[in-house]
Amino acid sequence: MKTIVYRRLAILTVLWMVSMAAYADDVVVIVHPSNALTEISVDDVKKIYLGKKKFFPGGAKVIPGDQPKGTQSRKFFYGGIIGKSEAKLKSYWSRLIFTGKGTPPKIIGFDRIVKEWVASQPQAMGYIMRSAADDTVKILDLK
Amino acid sequence: MSRFGKYNIGPICLVAASMALPLTTVAGEIGDIQWHGYLTSAFMISSDGNYSGDVSDAGGAKDTRMGLNISTQVDESLSFAAQLKAKGTEDFKMELDWAFASYDVSENVSLRFGKIKYPVGMYNEYIDVGYTYPWIRPPEGFYNQDAVGPNLTRVSYQGFGADFKTYSGDAELGFNLFGGVVDVPDGHVNQLIGAKFSANLEDEIRFELSANTGVMEVDDSFGRQMMMNGERHTTYTAGVIVDFTNFILSSEFGQAIMGRKVMGNRPMDMTSGYVMMGYRMGEYMPHITWEQWDVDGGWGQEVIGVGVRKELTTNSALKFEVRQVTPETTPKPAGGLGLFTDVPTEKDVTIVGVAIEMVF
Repeated sequence: MKTIVYRRLAILTVLWMVSMAAYADDVVVIVHPSNALTEISVDDVKKIYLGKKKFFPGGAKVIPGDQPKGTQSRKFFYGGIIGKSEAKLKSYWSRLIFTGKGTPPKIIGFDRIVKEWVASQPQAMGYIMRSAADDTVKILDLK
Repeated sequence: MSRFGKYNIGPICLVAASMALPLTTVAGEIGDIQWHGYLTSAFMISSDGNYSGDVSDAGGAKDTRMGLNISTQVDESLSFAAQLKAKGTEDFKMELDWAFASYDVSENVSLRFGKIKYPVGMYNEYIDVGYTYPWIRPPEGFYNQDAVGPNLTRVSYQGFGADFKTYSGDAELGFNLFGGVVDVPDGHVNQLIGAKFSANLEDEIRFELSANTGVMEVDDSFGRQMMMNGERHTTYTAGVIVDFTNFILSSEFGQAIMGRKVMGNRPMDMTSGYVMMGYRMGEYMPHITWEQWDVDGGWGQEVIGVGVRKELTTNSALKFEVRQVTPETTPKPAGGLGLFTDVPTEKDVTIVGVAIEMVF
């Protein structure tokens, strides 16, 4: 019985990881069209969204924008790109917030609001579903 | 008691202050203000004795506490943050926990000035924020700060901190240099200077080594003044937290060398440590902890505890734990066994606690 449970748990874990990796392709990282970058590493995106990096590669100040809990974009972005569950993310930020060492990215809103905010803010970085992006923002290739 | 920042205002003021702040707060942009808070509601009871002055066989909610945190980015390099707290162990008087200005010299170097949380111990800087760890009380063999307790770590210090970080592969390496003055319950630690090295591998393995030294200035008229006043003491700690998907292990050990010799011995020297292991099973995380505190003078205690943490939402948790405390039979100079303020009749004392933790 135990073996069956463990096997099912293992299968579910693998399926979850595969699905998050697949869904991560549907989320895109966007910046203002005037931003000189065309690509960015996943490691840099992680560092920016975890408060460890305050500048774009190249030196310009970055302001990351977030989406509220529960959106599909947030689920895919944190599950597939950042690699943290909501509970671990809350615990991570609590350790920084309550020692005065950092604050989480600003919650901007859903895909459309994030896209409009990034289009109007040269220092901004955001993430939205690929289907929500248009030429008012620039999609960065993840390397 | 803190040298400043102590006001006789109840926790209601803390809640009122939080309600008065704008709800549409943002972060990252200059001039924006962000606020956060935490709340622990706890009840603990012991089978015998008065443990650490705040857990008795009648039970009590002394571990209940709350805090409010405000931070703002003044310009691209300068930020300011402060935290107020009210604790049951301090009769819910509102207190300035810490407040400091931080200046980013570069992306990897920052300086802090003000009243800063004491950086020794893996959990100490956020020790009042129970949501961030498994226990109701982090292991007291390491974290207790009673006048005659382990005292490996402190609440906060007034002075400076310099943080340096670099990356090696996936590991973030940090170095923290700190110094200043520490307020302790019955005096001060002057000429504090310390250093901490840390390594963080994707938040799955975190490791810290620290050393610090300072000179005790004891105000009380009890035996500690004779034993400690004017004495330099040095403290060393090492800790690791392993946090894989479901498995968590946390362990710290420390040693304090207190300087004062009595007949060739150092009776106040002590060693302390703990090991905790837990396993996440969905919303539940059962855990077990062993901790030991030994003072060369012959007093100290051993504790074995088991507990479970249940995630209620992504920002709240319910905790239940049972600990068995076995104090050494040699009384402390101030009286009492181990961290008990009296001499319990039972050899092994059971302490049971339940708590709800929240961050917002």
